[in-house]
Amino acid sequence: MALRLASRRLALKPMPYAFSRSMATTVGNTKEPLGAISEATSSSSPPLSPKHTTTIKEPSPDPESKIKTFHIYRWNPDEPSSKPKMQSYTLDLNKTGPMILDALIRIKNEVDPTLTFRRSCREGICGSCAMNIDGVNTLACLCRIPTDAGKETRIYPLPHTYVVKDLVPDLTQFYKQYKSIKPYLQRDTPPPDGREYRQSKSDRRKLDGLYECILCACCSTSCPSYWWNSEEYLGPAVLLQSYRWIADSRDEKTEQRKDALNNSMALYRCHTILNCSRTCPKGLNPALAIAEIKKSLAFQ
Amino acid sequence: MASALRPAILRHALGAPASTRALTTSALPAFRAHHLAQRSPLALQRATFQTSTKRAILPALPQVIRGTVNDPVTVRDADPTHGSYHWTFERILSAGLIPITLAPFAAGSLSPVLDGALIGMIIVHSYIGFESIITDYLPKWRVPITRRILEWGNVLAVFVVGWGYYEFETNDVGLTEGIKRIWRAGSSSSSSSSSSSLTS
Repeated sequence: MALRLASRRLALKPMPYAFSRSMATTVGNTKEPLGAISEATSSSSPPLSPKHTTTIKEPSPDPESKIKTFHIYRWNPDEPSSKPKMQSYTLDLNKTGPMILDALIRIKNEVDPTLTFRRSCREGICGSCAMNIDGVNTLACLCRIPTDAGKETRIYPLPHTYVVKDLVPDLTQFYKQYKSIKPYLQRDTPPPDGREYRQSKSDRRKLDGLYECILCACCSTSCPSYWWNSEEYLGPAVLLQSYRWIADSRDEKTEQRKDALNNSMALYRCHTILNCSRTCPKGLNPALAIAEIKKSLAFQ
Repeated sequence: MASALRPAILRHALGAPASTRALTTSALPAFRAHHLAQRSPLALQRATFQTSTKRAILPALPQVIRGTVNDPVTVRDADPTHGSYHWTFERILSAGLIPITLAPFAAGSLSPVLDGALIGMIIVHSYIGFESIITDYLPKWRVPITRRILEWGNVLAVFVVGWGYYEFETNDVGLTEGIKRIWRAGSSSSSSSSSSSLTS
């Protein structure tokens, strides 16, 4: 039927509009035999003799291709007794998008559908595709594939996390800690004008560099202190979020927020290692936020 | 969160007919230790993910989720003695150590009071440093006894080192002069004579 439609489309092109039949014809109409005119002007050609045809060659490698190897961490919870392993995939970079996430999606679509990873927005706003790429925690969608095809890329899940499957880490503890800092506006007094909580421009400016955090957990899982003490130490991402509410001029529970951090574990396990600021894929500075909390606690 | 569902997956895998179960080698993690113990340690090392030698002091435990996944972690009560006061004291001490370390060498003063202050600050500074290491690497919820032993060991070290410094200060040349001599040890005879003239 496809052939018939195609031939009709070709044949009827020079015809006046009245003779042509648009593509949106009913099912019954498409079952009609070809008209005499369209059959006569059909562009289909008679079959070629074997003399004029050749056998199909083996596909030769494209000399222009840039083959790059990706080593990806694999672990399947359905086989809990088998060890995690690295699996290698090769892709032609000329046929792949520029980002690591493009490569991962292409591997999943075309090579290995069992490869598991989180992804959503592909533009660095959701924080789903956080993983360890070539030793750096970053978002796969914001990380360019190194164009040097000779170098192999290694992709792991976020370090020191419980792995759900392949590149999917378990962030339960991270989210539980985030919930413990009460990440919402806490006020007892109504707004003075009865309509909305107003803020001066300079107060609003204090939240710049804090509100952009997307909680991808790249910084927390890059922090050695968080590796050792993730049970009690909150980690850079949650502390940055905590400071976002401490710094908010509209919030009235600032002292309670500070008291919640004022013990040996929650805040002061930060030893200014600064891996968090180095790795943040959004270019934020969690170490500065932690230093600000320490400063405000020291001079109160 | 999905790992909280993992037991369900396991149960599913075990409940599957034997033909499909044969594809996976062993489905039950509880058997894992037993399974590994049968193998030689060399094969075990080869099978592990990392190629470097394994030095697990406190190996990661199986994941435990306290409460449900939607409960926040418990927040401790405010404890400024181990929190903000501790931190502020530590910073002031660290900042104060810089001038008091440089002063005797810059000014050439050999006052025993200054020497004593330097020693006292070094002892407290290192006590806080070791305490921080113990807090970092030995969680109280995991190794409570080891933690307590090391914390008291740290306190004991303060007194032992303090006593040693006291002996050094009263019966010997003292810290600043000692460092000066070590600094000049093995140099030419003229400088050694000058250092000996300092002691006289």
